[in-house]
Amino acid sequence: MSGHFLGRKLGQAAVTIVAIVLLNFVLFRLMPGSPDRILLRNPNATPEAIAAIRERWGLDKPLFPDQLVDYIAATARFDLGDSFKFRGQTVGDVILDRVGPTVLLVGLGELISVIVGLAIGAYAGWKRGGVVDRVGSSVSLVLYSMPYFVIGMPLIVILAAGLGWFPTSGMQDVGAETGFVGGLVDLARHLALPLLTVSLGLIGQYSILMRSAIIETRSEDYITTARAKGLPDGRVLRRHAFPNALLPMVTLIAINFGYVIAGAITAEIVFSWPGLGTLTITALSARDYPVLQGIFLLVAISVVIANLLADLVYGVLDPRVRV
Amino acid sequence: MRSARTVKATRFATLFAIAALALPAAVGPAVAKDPVIFTAGTTQDFDSSNPYQTALVSGYEAFQLSFDLLVGFGLDTKPIPGFADKWTRNPDNVTFHIRTGMKWSDGQPADSADACFSWQLALDAHAANANIGLGYLDTGVSDAGVTKVSCPDPETMIAYTTDQSDRIYQVYLPIVPKHIYGKDTYKTIGDEAFNGPLVGTGPYQLAEWKTGQFMRFTRNPNYWGTQGFADEIVLQIFSSSDTMVQALKAGDLQYAHGVNAEQLNALKTAPNIQTVVGAANGWSQLAFNEYGAETGKTIPGGGPSTKALLDPKFRDALGYAVDKKLLLDRVLGGYGDVGSTIVPPVLGDMHVEPDQPRTFDIELAKQKLDAAGYPLDANGKRLDKEGKPIVLRLVMPDSDANYPKAAQFIKDWYGQLGIEVQANVYDSNTLTDLLLPPEAGGKTNLAKYDIELWGWAGNPDPNGLLDIFKCDEIGSLSDSNFCDPAYDALYTQESALSGDARNAVLKTMQNMIYGLAVYDILYYDSNLDAYRTDKFTGLQNMPANGTPLFSYGTFNYTQLKDATAVPTPGPSSAATAAPGTSSAPATPATSATPGDTSSGGSNTTLLIVLLVVVILVVLLAWWYRGRRKSAAADEEG
Amino acid sequence: MSAVAAGTASLRAQRWRIRLAGMRSFASRYARRADGMVGLIVLVLFGVLALFPELFVGPLETATTATGNAFDPPSAAHVFGADDLGRDMLNLTVHGARISMTIGLMATVITLVFGVAIGLISGYAGGKLDNALMRISDFFLVLPTFVLALILAPVLIDIVGVDVQILGIRATLMVIIVVIGITSWAATARIIRSQVLSLKERMFVDRARVIGAGPGRIIMGHILPNVVNLIVANAVLTFASAVLTETTLSFIGLGDPFQPSWGQILNSAQESGAPGLGAWWVIAPPAACVVLVVLCFTLVGNALDDLLNPKSQVRR
Repeated sequence: MSGHFLGRKLGQAAVTIVAIVLLNFVLFRLMPGSPDRILLRNPNATPEAIAAIRERWGLDKPLFPDQLVDYIAATARFDLGDSFKFRGQTVGDVILDRVGPTVLLVGLGELISVIVGLAIGAYAGWKRGGVVDRVGSSVSLVLYSMPYFVIGMPLIVILAAGLGWFPTSGMQDVGAETGFVGGLVDLARHLALPLLTVSLGLIGQYSILMRSAIIETRSEDYITTARAKGLPDGRVLRRHAFPNALLPMVTLIAINFGYVIAGAITAEIVFSWPGLGTLTITALSARDYPVLQGIFLLVAISVVIANLLADLVYGVLDPRVRV
Repeated sequence: MRSARTVKATRFATLFAIAALALPAAVGPAVAKDPVIFTAGTTQDFDSSNPYQTALVSGYEAFQLSFDLLVGFGLDTKPIPGFADKWTRNPDNVTFHIRTGMKWSDGQPADSADACFSWQLALDAHAANANIGLGYLDTGVSDAGVTKVSCPDPETMIAYTTDQSDRIYQVYLPIVPKHIYGKDTYKTIGDEAFNGPLVGTGPYQLAEWKTGQFMRFTRNPNYWGTQGFADEIVLQIFSSSDTMVQALKAGDLQYAHGVNAEQLNALKTAPNIQTVVGAANGWSQLAFNEYGAETGKTIPGGGPSTKALLDPKFRDALGYAVDKKLLLDRVLGGYGDVGSTIVPPVLGDMHVEPDQPRTFDIELAKQKLDAAGYPLDANGKRLDKEGKPIVLRLVMPDSDANYPKAAQFIKDWYGQLGIEVQANVYDSNTLTDLLLPPEAGGKTNLAKYDIELWGWAGNPDPNGLLDIFKCDEIGSLSDSNFCDPAYDALYTQESALSGDARNAVLKTMQNMIYGLAVYDILYYDSNLDAYRTDKFTGLQNMPANGTPLFSYGTFNYTQLKDATAVPTPGPSSAATAAPGTSSAPATPATSATPGDTSSGGSNTTLLIVLLVVVILVVLLAWWYRGRRKSAAADEEG
Repeated sequence: MSAVAAGTASLRAQRWRIRLAGMRSFASRYARRADGMVGLIVLVLFGVLALFPELFVGPLETATTATGNAFDPPSAAHVFGADDLGRDMLNLTVHGARISMTIGLMATVITLVFGVAIGLISGYAGGKLDNALMRISDFFLVLPTFVLALILAPVLIDIVGVDVQILGIRATLMVIIVVIGITSWAATARIIRSQVLSLKERMFVDRARVIGAGPGRIIMGHILPNVVNLIVANAVLTFASAVLTETTLSFIGLGDPFQPSWGQILNSAQESGAPGLGAWWVIAPPAACVVLVVLCFTLVGNALDDLLNPKSQVRR
């Protein structure tokens, strides 16, 4: 990979992140009446009290350049301010508490759906028109058309509320801590349904994408050659077609990352999973703008980094990309 | 060449796997002990563990577990020992005796210096015309007429008052340890983190707070009173009452606060679960924006959209168009009371029903509007006195799912009078901002609404609720912008009185507000709670027609007993007999009670329906895929 | 003069004839796509429901005109049961079609107007303008659009104020429409641009340029007609994702409780505790409609894409 390519990609990512930071600032500062609106939660607030709090939040300074400069400097220090809703907690603390559960859910969900989705998609594309293709593709298409919460709600009604196999919500039974193994089992029971929801939603997408990638690869010359040479079908798929079809998938999975998080948000809400999704909703209904800002920043930057990584991985795997 | 790529791709996948495997270890709980835990659930997320920064019932519940008030609340909400163990009322003061030998949970001595420090913070704030934190707690001191506190010795605190009322025993000020917060002033204590582990004199101390999940409280080793069976108290947050009810049924939860009517009906037949219908000390109302009715002032770009709202006759006529019984049945499932006057019935003999009640009669409402000078035009629209069609903006907060439901009824009923209603939902902060008139001082405070649908909750003393209608609350608490000096005079008068003399004045005030139709109080809400009886007993309603928890004080947490240790069901049935008497007399008229049996049946139905749908869709798609495939194959072939 | 005019007229007629023939052949090719046809038929049915809900189920039931009791299970009187206010679920679901489809349609229009305009300009102009516009669209492509939509919606509602009505649509819904538009135009712009880039080099564009046609005329008269195919296929897929986004935003609580879209009905179902009460009939009809509509739009979109998009034989 040439330094030029690397530099250009890094530069683009940096510009995007700066733009996100600016967008963040503009979005949340230019709103009418806020954020000092939060003070008015107290109808008894005296003008003196209001002035004091405006000063504390830096709202008494002009928007530009003072507030902007302060904002950028603070963001660079990862200081995102204090939460409006969770008084006495910094945005960093509030968000950090919730990153773990979301990463767990999204990470495992991605892992499962990448493995299962790609396998189904590859097989379906390879044996086009076969039983796996017909069932797999139809189910994938239906899953792809379902919002995550539509997948999740029946799961709760049937598996949790109805049959009682799984807990309906949360991440752990507080107090039911019976050592590390017990805790892990407890976590797994709570994780099962949200994870199933996220995975099902993603499997649909990935298998559809993988199927068409395999179909495209299948028609290429070297595959035809390999098959003509009399190599076993399964071997051609595993050794030749699959790795090559995987190439575009890397980018697609990275681009998809933003949607995965979006899906995870709704899945989290349905299952009260204490991650960034439920935090977003809490912050949204309390108009906790600092926290919303922080979440947006975090998610946007992770998506940018995911894209950057995909570009780099793609660059490593595919020599044609080296410009 | 090709195989090299395969290797790289595999490596990429393992990277994923390692990252995913490493996680559960980081997240999973690692503590191994077996304390007795009492878990109470609510759908209201905590806003702060700092007592001065919470505006929510859940937050109040939390800080009262850690900190004592000077005087606590007993089962009947009457004063019981708190930080002070006894007190005497003198002509110009109340002298509190602080418990001898009491200790903070960290072992430091707790004495009158802590009490004086805590009350002095509020007095300082008021002297500076400021607040502590959000400003909900410190007002209690001035409402009780406290002018000065002094602590002549470690066991005595004297609070000097201007009146003789009992409100001094209801001051919601936590006594916080001076040895920890002593450096703070009223300006800074609101910014303190109050993170666990906290130091207090309450029965259970906050150990940790996981935002959006729970607050965990551990037993205070130095607690002065009797302690309950539970070693730990967990207040758990649920994102919906639905999941909370599931947890209660599954036994993951001991107490659920705030279920809805249908859920309560379903829980009534569930084993080992006691349901409670607690009369709430508050109401939900339509507040009419009467800005300028007294002063003639208007707000450029804001204020009520028509002068008709300033006319008591107009508001009175609207009152006949609301069928409150139907509203109660349909929106609250019958749990609650039909609304009328501004002192809730839960306050007993202080509440009166109006002398001239309005009854539901759309035709009468139309006649009254015609007679008051609001005729219909040719298109069936009601006109105001300026000849403009009346269109009312109805605003409400998004915090209560019942409000949009109630609003639909109001929309329909007013619509039958020829009055269009534009209903909108806001988050609470935006709504507060929008409701306030310019007197509040903000640029965006334009009181730009016509009717507000929201509610209030009060204290054991009705003054908190009566206060809302005073002239000087315009720009502050008032959401009707009502002002009448005669009412203010009555308020001053009743504040100095007690007993029957006070009730007589309260009666005049209630009839005054009802007669002028300042508010149309739709219903007095109820708190619907449910709790398990198989692990803990000892919960009692407080007051008798209230709920055991999320009420006043934290008395019930100290009364928890081991249900399995009780050999006969005697004590447990005694404890659970009380709710029977308190159950709302109103019958849930229309609810279909999807009980356990029917929901089990419908789940099976659902399973079958779902299966059929999925199979059908798959079959269809399969068939068409197949057709499409063969067509494509033909083209390729 | 007149001869020239007559010549142009006949040329125009001829061009129309060719186009008409093309359409006919396209229609017959589309008719052979079974999945596309099924999708189309279902969508037409939903379209009819959305246009004339009163014909099928009467006026929208409100709190006071509700015909059932709270959570009535399905019965002869209420085929789909009743919701927590006793409103007939069939009635609500059919009326929900109108709101969901309207939002989907308007969001699609906004997306296309922006996406197509920017794609055309960017592709035709090239150079610095192209570069700048594509950087911006890159930015929007990378942004986690749903999270952005989540945050934009309340901000816009605060700025606009909810009591405003735009084109007779309440601001809360209008904001959802605009948010979907803002967050999804970039993909359309990209696709259109790449097509314009290849068209720009074609003979007929050069010819038009030689005879002195201005950029506006070339874009509108020569390039736009040649990307219409692409726009149509893209519009259908955009519609599907718009319906999905609307449903999700409403479900989360950013919808308008007074205008029941499918997402909004699901939101009330969740809030009233329907899943735990076993009241599946409040959830199943709107959820099934969303899935069905999105599925059919995807089927139609894929079929159109296969037939119309020169670049992709097999997408998705």
